Amino acid sequence: MKKIGITTTIPSEVVYAAGMVPVDLNNIFITHNNPQLLVEEAELAGYPRNLCSWIKGIYTTVLNNKDIDTVIAVTQGDCSNTHALMETLDLAGIKVIPFAYPFDRDYDLLKLQIEKLMTALGTDWEQVNETKKTLDAVRKRLWQMDQLTWQDNKISGFDNHLFQVCSSDFNGNPEQFAKEMDDYLAKLPQQPEIKTELRIGYIGVPPIMDDLYDYLEERGARVVYNEVQRQFAMPFDTDDLVEQYRLYSYPYGIFYRLEDIIEQIKLRQLDGVISYAQSFCYRQIEDLIIRQKIDVPILTLEGDKPNKLDARTKMRLDSFLEMLR
Amino acid sequence: MYAGIDLGSRNVKVAILDDQGQLKLHKFDTVSFYREHGHMEDGQLLVDLSALGLGDIGWQQIVSTGYGRQTINLKGAKNIAEIKAHVTGAVYLTGKEDFTMLDLGGQDSKVALVRKGRMVDFETNDRCAASTGRYLENMAAVLDIDLAELSKHYQHPVELSSTCAIFGETELIGKVVEGYSVAELAAGVNYTIFKRVKPMLLKLASPTIVFTGGVAQNQALRQIVTQELNKEVLVPDNPQYNGAIGCAVTAKKLALQ
Repeated sequence: MKKIGITTTIPSEVVYAAGMVPVDLNNIFITHNNPQLLVEEAELAGYPRNLCSWIKGIYTTVLNNKDIDTVIAVTQGDCSNTHALMETLDLAGIKVIPFAYPFDRDYDLLKLQIEKLMTALGTDWEQVNETKKTLDAVRKRLWQMDQLTWQDNKISGFDNHLFQVCSSDFNGNPEQFAKEMDDYLAKLPQQPEIKTELRIGYIGVPPIMDDLYDYLEERGARVVYNEVQRQFAMPFDTDDLVEQYRLYSYPYGIFYRLEDIIEQIKLRQLDGVISYAQSFCYRQIEDLIIRQKIDVPILTLEGDKPNKLDARTKMRLDSFLEMLR
Repeated sequence: MYAGIDLGSRNVKVAILDDQGQLKLHKFDTVSFYREHGHMEDGQLLVDLSALGLGDIGWQQIVSTGYGRQTINLKGAKNIAEIKAHVTGAVYLTGKEDFTMLDLGGQDSKVALVRKGRMVDFETNDRCAASTGRYLENMAAVLDIDLAELSKHYQHPVELSSTCAIFGETELIGKVVEGYSVAELAAGVNYTIFKRVKPMLLKLASPTIVFTGGVAQNQALRQIVTQELNKEVLVPDNPQYNGAIGCAVTAKKLALQ
């Protein structure tokens, strides 16, 4: 089946309904055996050093994966650098399909965007709604996993992150992905409860370094809320596809995202929140709003290159946890 | 006896506290300290404290902190988080419970908000050390003056950007060429430090600022912070030992528990 690259979560129902496979380029980039090399290749091609590593990684990932000749790029609601990413991919002969989440969450505009995507890929509402039912069944397992994380203390922050983050493209195979989750869930009853002193919320895009969750857990703190990853799993019970992507908070403004964040801080009894932003990302500006609106302690973390936590970030994490105790 | 060790980027500071509350302070060059007194054992740096020349001391508790803490675990010592150590030191040395701590060390800038003796928020420098001791040393070297001379000047500062510790040197040389006096150049350097830390100080503001770390010995900067922010600025004696003292105080507390 034909693969289609995606730059972030888009209505994957449309891609699957059209008989194609969405491939989240972020996941391919970050699980590469040397993701930093991909960033450097983009810099050699002319990408600036002072630009988000995710964009650079995606650029090289597309060029290196010859079976991906089409990319659905989210041009509004994710990252403004995607515009130039599209242009440079276009230059390299890649077909680009733009997708824009309307800033004001307008139902009609969003519906129009989804229908344009359906036309571009060659599918219709009937097939899309059928696919939605299939994908929703997979998503229900993710919701269950999230509950097992924060309510039953059975799932680590990293596993919670990993499964939910994969729901942007269902690893290219929803059936297989569901089976992996079933296997994981089947083993859980035998697992002991995870006991940590502190309950942490993680908000913002998924981290570019992969050892954050383990580092926190070694120090007695566990992430029991992954904001954006949870949003990827669309924890909303609705039969209306347009409404589903309207409820999905990540691509809209910070104030709408904060409604979900504030509700979950209370519900999950969080001791503190780590607010992550990628270096050189406009979302860093929103930190000042987040700090005014959230009333639990916040640590602002900035990630740059795909790597392990640096000594300075570890020092900041240690101090933050110490402060929460 | 209770020992606190701050494994800093430039110096290792040791504070020894006795039951009467007397403090003894010692300083070692960081690299020499690791080379001469340490060796690896079971993946941890073992430091022979008796060979440091501090005399024959019966240690009841040792607490360490600092940048080295991330890569080195001092054998026999309990590690505590760096900002926590500094806040503990600042509370102990000033007797204050509500203040903003400004700690400027060899490469670190830290600002912490302290309420009722507890840290409630903090900020640190990120990716650049252009507000630290190392920066001042570099700039003093460019001007061919010592740190004591550099720290005298705050009037009529030349305008310098505060974006990079290294490009700052080139910029300073440019100002030398333009004919400014050493006093104006030195004042400009001191002002760049203030510009770097000002946003953090405003974000975590209190009527009182406790200024610690080696850079707190810079009198001009104390003057600049006081007049620009109109705050009370307290600098404890031996401000560069603040982290080590915080560790020693913690060591005593742990031993008595």
